Amino acid sequence: MIRFEQVSKTYPGGQRALSKVDFHIAQGEMAFLTGHSGAGKSTLLKLISIMERPTVGRVLINGHDLNVIKRRQIAYIRRDIGMIFQSHQLLMDKTVFDNVALPLVIEGYGHKEIAKRVDAALEMVGLRSKARNLPITLSGGEQQRVGIARAVVNKPPLLLADEPTGNLDPKLSMEIVRLFEDFNQAGVSVLIATHDLGLIARMRYRTLTLKNGKMITDGLADGEEGR
Amino acid sequence: MSILFKGRSQGASERKINFAQRFVMFFVNHIRQALGSLGELWRQPAASLMTIGVLGLSITLPSTLYILVKNTEKISAGWEQAAEISLFLKDQTSAAEAQQLLTRLQTWSEIDRVVYVPADDALEEFKQLSGLGDAVKYLEANPLPDVVLVTPGEKHTAPTAAQMLLEKLQQQREVDMGKLDIEWLERLYGFLQIATELVTIIGVLLFIAVILIVGNTIRLNILNKRDEILVMKLVGATDGFIHRPFLYTGFWYGLLGGVIAWMAVIIILWWMDSSIQAFASLYDKSFHITGLTGSALLTMLFLSVMLGLVGSLISVQRHVREIEPQ
Repeated sequence: MIRFEQVSKTYPGGQRALSKVDFHIAQGEMAFLTGHSGAGKSTLLKLISIMERPTVGRVLINGHDLNVIKRRQIAYIRRDIGMIFQSHQLLMDKTVFDNVALPLVIEGYGHKEIAKRVDAALEMVGLRSKARNLPITLSGGEQQRVGIARAVVNKPPLLLADEPTGNLDPKLSMEIVRLFEDFNQAGVSVLIATHDLGLIARMRYRTLTLKNGKMITDGLADGEEGR
Repeated sequence: MSILFKGRSQGASERKINFAQRFVMFFVNHIRQALGSLGELWRQPAASLMTIGVLGLSITLPSTLYILVKNTEKISAGWEQAAEISLFLKDQTSAAEAQQLLTRLQTWSEIDRVVYVPADDALEEFKQLSGLGDAVKYLEANPLPDVVLVTPGEKHTAPTAAQMLLEKLQQQREVDMGKLDIEWLERLYGFLQIATELVTIIGVLLFIAVILIVGNTIRLNILNKRDEILVMKLVGATDGFIHRPFLYTGFWYGLLGGVIAWMAVIIILWWMDSSIQAFASLYDKSFHITGLTGSALLTMLFLSVMLGLVGSLISVQRHVREIEPQ
């Protein structure tokens, strides 16, 4: 599903964020991406969503080389990728419903279809009753779930999450990860970047570890391997 | 259609809706966005009114000047007899000879109409109009010559053409002298030409200013919505989709500015009408200024909308591109 082939990224100014990264995440797989801050996690995600382009190497999604994707095609690529951010990236002056509906509005769905799909997405994250609220009135965990509902509302085959549990306590973090598991069981490939090692330790998923831009481990989390 | 995932439907257009429905949805979406932009303007009345006002008043000035020039042209067209040539015939010309001249002139292609005014008729007219009827009685003989009034054809009313026609007419054997009051006509035409050019120059300058003002206003709108644009780009909005509300804002600026210009022109003309009438009465003429005709109004509104659109288009092309998620 996601394949990196010898990918290096050097930012203008010479800062080397990724160096010769190689990995493959299969369709329907769920994986964690971890490492200290500055290790290159965000850069790696940005290469998948084409917010950045690799300096060397190829990034492929479903066998399609992203290097050949033109600027004006990027929007269509992002419609296939549900993205979740630590800072939620919600529109604070729009209701929860409008926030979740945004991807559908952009794709030109009709009113009825939008209402149906947004309801379903909010139901999944347990926020159906708050559809008419403004995000500012919600807690951090709830805001994150609105972000997740928005990411999955158009049923993308691929979910990327950048520190989705960053500001949440362990219990709420676990709830969020359970949500991702649900989507994964429905066949969605999921890649979660996090530095929350405790969280990873409790789960039994493949973990990719970055250190100074290099992929140092690729396998089950340390805590799991001993069992 | 998804680029990455063959067979994955993307967007409403991929679902099974027929052409008619898609056609309707296209318009529904556009109308929704147009009304949305109008709503944005409505929510910030002060800022919107200022931009619309600047746009409207900038269009008012060239429009008013244009109307004044057009009206002056109309006046000059009404006084076309200024281009009428009076031919004074020689004293010894007989009525028969005058008649011959008349038939000859009628065949000229440059000439629209000829009227023969015999000396006796002219004297009679003079008696009636001048109020000197009694004094004329004391004259022994009619001092007036026979006159032929020549109205040049449409192509020969312009000063140089009329002058050439006059010279040709003066060469006729029966003609003593011809008269064409051409100087003031030349001045009027010259003045009108300068005025037209001035209106064009002022218009172009103001239109450029309007484009810059709208462009800058839209730029500020874009910067204000930076966060929203970022989020939209993250969830897969095309540039076109992000541009559209701003283009509609430009459209509304243009249209509403045009309407303001229209009202301003009406008020200005109404204000000027009385003084113009007073002026016209000095010339024994009753004259009403012609306002915007339907086609001129449509042109003005169209121009105004175009200015708004061009201003916003330049702005979105430049500034929406600059906002990229980092």
